[in-house]
Amino acid sequence: MNNQALKELLYKMADDQLILGHRNSEWTGMGPLLEEDIAFSSMAQDKIGQSLALYTLLQELGERDPDTVAFTRSANQFHNCQLVELPNQEYDFSLIRHFLFDTAEALRFEMLSESSYEPLAQLARKIRGELRYHTLHANTWIKQLGTATPESIERLQKSLEYAMPFALGIFEPSPYENELISSNIFLGEENLKKRWMEKVESVISQTNLNLPDWNLVKPELGGRLGTHTAHLQPLLDEMSEVFKIDPTAEW
Amino acid sequence: MYGGGNTFEGIKTDSIANEDPILLAAFEARIERGEKIEPTDWMPQLYRKQLIRMIEQHAHSEIIGALPEGTWITRAPGFKRKMSLMAKVQDEVGHAQLLYSAAETLGKPREQMIEDLINGKSKYSNIFNYPTFTWADCCFISWLVDAGAIVNQLANAKGSYGPYCRALDRICAEESFHLKYGHHCVIYLASGTDKQRQMFQEALNRWWPPMMHFFGPADKISAHTEVLMRWKVKMGTNDEMRNQFLDMYVPKIWELGFTIPDEKLKKNESGKWDYTEPDWEEFKRVINGDGPCNKERLEVRRIAEERGKWVRDALKSPKAKYIMPLA
Amino acid sequence: MLKSLDPRVTRLPVVEIAKPKAQLDQFGTYEVFVEPKSGKPFQHEGSVHAPNLEMAYILAKETFTRRFTCSSLYVVDTRDVYVSSMTEGEQNVFDLIEQSESTNGTSDFEIYQLIKRGKQHVFLGSVKAGTPQEAMATAKTKLNTGKIVYNIWAIEANKIRFTTEEEKEYWITLPEKKFRDASNYKGGDKLKRFLEKVNS
Repeated sequence: MNNQALKELLYKMADDQLILGHRNSEWTGMGPLLEEDIAFSSMAQDKIGQSLALYTLLQELGERDPDTVAFTRSANQFHNCQLVELPNQEYDFSLIRHFLFDTAEALRFEMLSESSYEPLAQLARKIRGELRYHTLHANTWIKQLGTATPESIERLQKSLEYAMPFALGIFEPSPYENELISSNIFLGEENLKKRWMEKVESVISQTNLNLPDWNLVKPELGGRLGTHTAHLQPLLDEMSEVFKIDPTAEW
Repeated sequence: MYGGGNTFEGIKTDSIANEDPILLAAFEARIERGEKIEPTDWMPQLYRKQLIRMIEQHAHSEIIGALPEGTWITRAPGFKRKMSLMAKVQDEVGHAQLLYSAAETLGKPREQMIEDLINGKSKYSNIFNYPTFTWADCCFISWLVDAGAIVNQLANAKGSYGPYCRALDRICAEESFHLKYGHHCVIYLASGTDKQRQMFQEALNRWWPPMMHFFGPADKISAHTEVLMRWKVKMGTNDEMRNQFLDMYVPKIWELGFTIPDEKLKKNESGKWDYTEPDWEEFKRVINGDGPCNKERLEVRRIAEERGKWVRDALKSPKAKYIMPLA
Repeated sequence: MLKSLDPRVTRLPVVEIAKPKAQLDQFGTYEVFVEPKSGKPFQHEGSVHAPNLEMAYILAKETFTRRFTCSSLYVVDTRDVYVSSMTEGEQNVFDLIEQSESTNGTSDFEIYQLIKRGKQHVFLGSVKAGTPQEAMATAKTKLNTGKIVYNIWAIEANKIRFTTEEEKEYWITLPEKKFRDASNYKGGDKLKRFLEKVNS
């Protein structure tokens, strides 16, 4: 088993979940409906919890403890896709991002439940129920708002077009795609992307939204290699503000 | 989270004279023998009005109370604190949801209550009009303001109105995590670095005066509320609740080696706590709008409601008719 | 722009002055019923505001089952819950329920009972009937044990959004989420060590 390839996979997955969970947690107390505020916050907690599980797997592979890894790295050391670091904007964007990302996430973990790396396969099987709820939530909101009023449809459409290039960045190939596939750790980003496109098409086709032409969307890449938008460093600075008062202190 | 609320204003009890004396007697007898009042029961106008006001204020306190701690969600230090704080603030939104539902069973729609919060008509617990300058301020709230709220909530859970009792039972169950979490945070600050200890001591100095206001004005300057006590709407006087809080938590604060900024604070021979009389003029000033964060708190709520309006408008059904929740 | 200690608040956009809220801005309500553990009866937990039944299910799941334990959940529009009168003291509400015209209806109805004011309604049983009134009358003959009951609800099953078998996995990880459990915050040891150090 190639530890480098595995660690690369775990880091990017954990970073995605941490950053998106952090972004989604910004809505707590400010959501469009009390009950939805509560639901969105639960899913953000799930994401952070799942990232913690992955950083813990990394620690078992020799990396540093999760708090140090999450709260002291700088932006160019993070491997999240750029999609998750974008600011929240309005609820239409957050819902579209939730839909695009969580659809991929659920499929990724579905594939990983057959992984040759047993701890990851176990985690994948364990959180399947959580991810099932996340996609139920996302699909329901997109389908309902995507067929409701001219305003809701227009808002979602704009967000979909804006998010799509960044969403394709989820599948930016790893330098270790071949090792991951040949060692059966993970069947690869291409494979995942195909399944994701089918799923996305099937949900969007039940709305009045128009999916951009896959061939015409230029993916925003770089996140997996540590190249980020101007938004990530300020996010990390904010996230680590108290922690960095004294990284050796116990809080 | 909820404080005793403002009881400077007297309660107009004239309407009681207009109630059917037989129904009123049966109603009071039911309360006397400890049986709960449910939404479809007959109840005096004053009971309904005061309960709506009290439960609504409690609900507003929860949703506004989510903001001072919410200030630190994105900056919580470490995974454990990050996840717990998210869960705790989420619970405050959840408690608001439960309490609005309880108040709705008395006939006031939720949109009306939210409207009254934003336009300043309805009040919320005054302590949330103060700013959380540091992580330690956040920990103060998580521990001691929640502790204060629990004192009130445990008392009110024995009140007479069924839906409010059910909501409070659930709230009290969830609050046990809040209290333990808050205390845990402060223990770590107390036993940590000098900087951490100092951060909490300074926060304590800032928050102690508002905390002494939390249970409402002193009994001797409060309006009379005998009828509310008789109807088990109010379950203890402000001073009784305040004293209970001091009794439970001052020793715990002192145990950690922190000083409380009140030289007079001590337990006297009769077992009650002596303290410097809080500044009730300051309390009045702040609760009537002139505190450091009043404007911001309401503005954040207003913005949240406005930003979410398109979502709600999109999914609203034109044929829907309003009906109260059941219990 | 609002100047605030909360970085999220300083990022909030400017919005116009709001018009007063229209009626049903917060939608109508749906009643929520939860099975706390497999084998225990469903009980009423409260209500959620939601635009429709499916959304009510999704929102109820986090509003009412994000803590403690849960094995299943269902929701129904408040308007589809048929409610009996409320009794008190020694009066059993079943005694007040009238004999109903017998249809040949075979719809399933879930029957809930309140055995103590101030507590929650708990599942009593299912009956088959053609109307809610008939369901209550049938519950009187088939389910009433003579124990005092203060209030009865009858809910037609086909109005309910149930949890499917596959959906039960939503709650599998619930018991492991200890970061929200009071028991996870035992500061006692740390406090003890601190006090020992201070007092030495």
